[in-house]
Amino acid sequence: MHLFLLGASHHTAPVDLRERIDFARRSMADALAGIADLDGIAEVVVLSTCNRSEIYAVCDAPETARERLTAFLSAFHDVPEPELVPHLYGRTHGDVARHLFRVVAGLDSLVVGEPQIAGQVKEAFATASEWGFTGTSLNRLFHHAFTAGKRVRAETGLGEGAVSVSYAAISLARKIFGSLAGRRTLVVGAGEMAELTATHLRSQNVGRIGVANRTAAHAASLAAKVEGVAVPWASITEELTATDIVVTATGSANWTLTRGHVADAMRPRRDRPLFVIDIGLPRDVDPAASDVEQVFLYNIDDLQEIVRENLERRQAQVDEAEQMVREEVDGYMRWLRSRGSIPTVVALRQHFEQTRQAELDRLAPKLASLSPAARDRVDEVTRLLVERLLSSPTEQLKQAPDDESAAADADAINRLFGLRDQSVRRR
Amino acid sequence: MNTVPLALYVAAGIAYSIHFWRRTGSSGRAATVALGAGALVHTFIIGMQTMQVGHVPLVGTTGAISAFVWLLALAYLYTEMTTGERAMGIFIAPLIVALQLIPALGNSVTARPPVLESHWFETHVSSLLVAYAAFALACVISVTYLLLFKELKRKHLGVFYARLPSLQILDRMNSRAVAIGWIFLTVGLAVGGVWLVQVGPAAADPRVQAMSLFDPKIFIVLLCWGGYTFELYARRAIGWGGRRSAWLSAIGFAILMLNFVPIGYFGTDSHNFY
Repeated sequence: MHLFLLGASHHTAPVDLRERIDFARRSMADALAGIADLDGIAEVVVLSTCNRSEIYAVCDAPETARERLTAFLSAFHDVPEPELVPHLYGRTHGDVARHLFRVVAGLDSLVVGEPQIAGQVKEAFATASEWGFTGTSLNRLFHHAFTAGKRVRAETGLGEGAVSVSYAAISLARKIFGSLAGRRTLVVGAGEMAELTATHLRSQNVGRIGVANRTAAHAASLAAKVEGVAVPWASITEELTATDIVVTATGSANWTLTRGHVADAMRPRRDRPLFVIDIGLPRDVDPAASDVEQVFLYNIDDLQEIVRENLERRQAQVDEAEQMVREEVDGYMRWLRSRGSIPTVVALRQHFEQTRQAELDRLAPKLASLSPAARDRVDEVTRLLVERLLSSPTEQLKQAPDDESAAADADAINRLFGLRDQSVRRR
Repeated sequence: MNTVPLALYVAAGIAYSIHFWRRTGSSGRAATVALGAGALVHTFIIGMQTMQVGHVPLVGTTGAISAFVWLLALAYLYTEMTTGERAMGIFIAPLIVALQLIPALGNSVTARPPVLESHWFETHVSSLLVAYAAFALACVISVTYLLLFKELKRKHLGVFYARLPSLQILDRMNSRAVAIGWIFLTVGLAVGGVWLVQVGPAAADPRVQAMSLFDPKIFIVLLCWGGYTFELYARRAIGWGGRRSAWLSAIGFAILMLNFVPIGYFGTDSHNFY
């Protein structure tokens, strides 16, 4: 049995093709069942995200599996093979593990270290596993991948720091307030940026979202979209007093919030912090407002600078993360090899046991004069002797450092003890 | 004997530093284990000393410092376990190590003069030590608050941003630690007053005679009580919190430490029981 992977990702395929072969558009159950029905495929997991569509399989022969899976992909998504093939990549054996471990760790992602991918892979595996499409090989592969991903995230800074402006703003808010649940929010402006940020905040389970705009109808419209409340333009300062997070995105030529507005709003608040996110261009909030005690003012440039620094920091962690992935892949491969050595170990032990039994049978007449207790002891001693003799070779077979050594060890054992001949004879 | 916990506290400090910079789970766990082991050995030592002399070794500044370090280690371990935050270990460990040097280098068991043979005295000292431990935690929490606040205000997000909990959590922790410390400080001072009234008129000990509001140690601790009372009042009545409270907690504890160590040894006529 071999591990095999066929897929297309943002590295190899343009977005229009990725969209066409996205399994999320079709039934995942049909896809898994269709692939499992193919000849020579024993186990399967399908991973489908906006950046990749990948089929992880355990198959008899990788070459034929590649042909069959390509044909399946083409037919299932109705994309002609010649159009599809140049964008597909195939991986076998250890490279499948290496690829999956890198994917889970976020090393293969468009934005290095992004956290969603680990969850998406977990979901893909859970789906396949729940419906019975996985077995020992893929179970172990995926669980090892999750452990590797967790280790990379825990021991490097690869997944740290926001790498999008909106997430940077949310992270800052969390660093000021802790949980955002129930925090009162005010969105000033009703344009596209304001809507985007308000939607993002709503997904963070914030409390009341007030929307203020010079044109009241626009404020009401956005408020309805984000389950918020329209706030009259004239009462912004009063609203500020009760607000924890303010987002401004009006694009107005003058300051929408001056230092005076903010200072007035802060007076009754005392030392309750106010986080002001100014994503307007030109800026909406007078930078001097930042001097007011407990006011944290970040504009679009500040947020972009945070994103840039975080990306740089993540990039600096890539080498360390790659090294961890290599170590984890080695660990997995050792397990795989130890599993591969099982037939040889079993044959070797059977050979020794048969030899022991044959010798005991041969010596049976001589042993007959012994008491039953003494005969039991002889049986026990010979059994222990065989165990002791086999203990070291068994361990060595399981711990071969690479495939070549594993194959050479197995060949040597088979040849020295005539195991292959025996198994052929048995057959 | 006090060198064994000192060595373990040093090990904990090193492990907390590694954990702070590298953020590996193993170094964090090692730090907690070393600190826990230090506190355990310290408990054993204090227990042994108590059995040896027949009373808790709280007489004299050195004994009090040893007990304070032990309480501080326990209070920090409790905070770490209830919040799951290990980032503050790097700040608390140097304080623990620096103070533990005193009992490690000197004798922490002092003979108890007859005038101190009273439960009032034991309650007075132990309450104040619990208060100091709570104020020490409040100070460390406040320092981390100020460091994080500075990073957020200046928009230079660095090591503290990545490692510390949110400002509001730190502010809340500071407020709780100060409240607990204030209760024990108040009880400790009141009990001290009661003890003084009981022994005062009859005591021939010159140290008891020197106990007045003008003794530096007593004056400063009352001043700190006033400061902490104001901090609690200002939070409730004026809405003070955040940076202002953090400064009060940090300065309050700095003064308490000056009172505890240098003034405790050299500047007081009333509390020199070493």
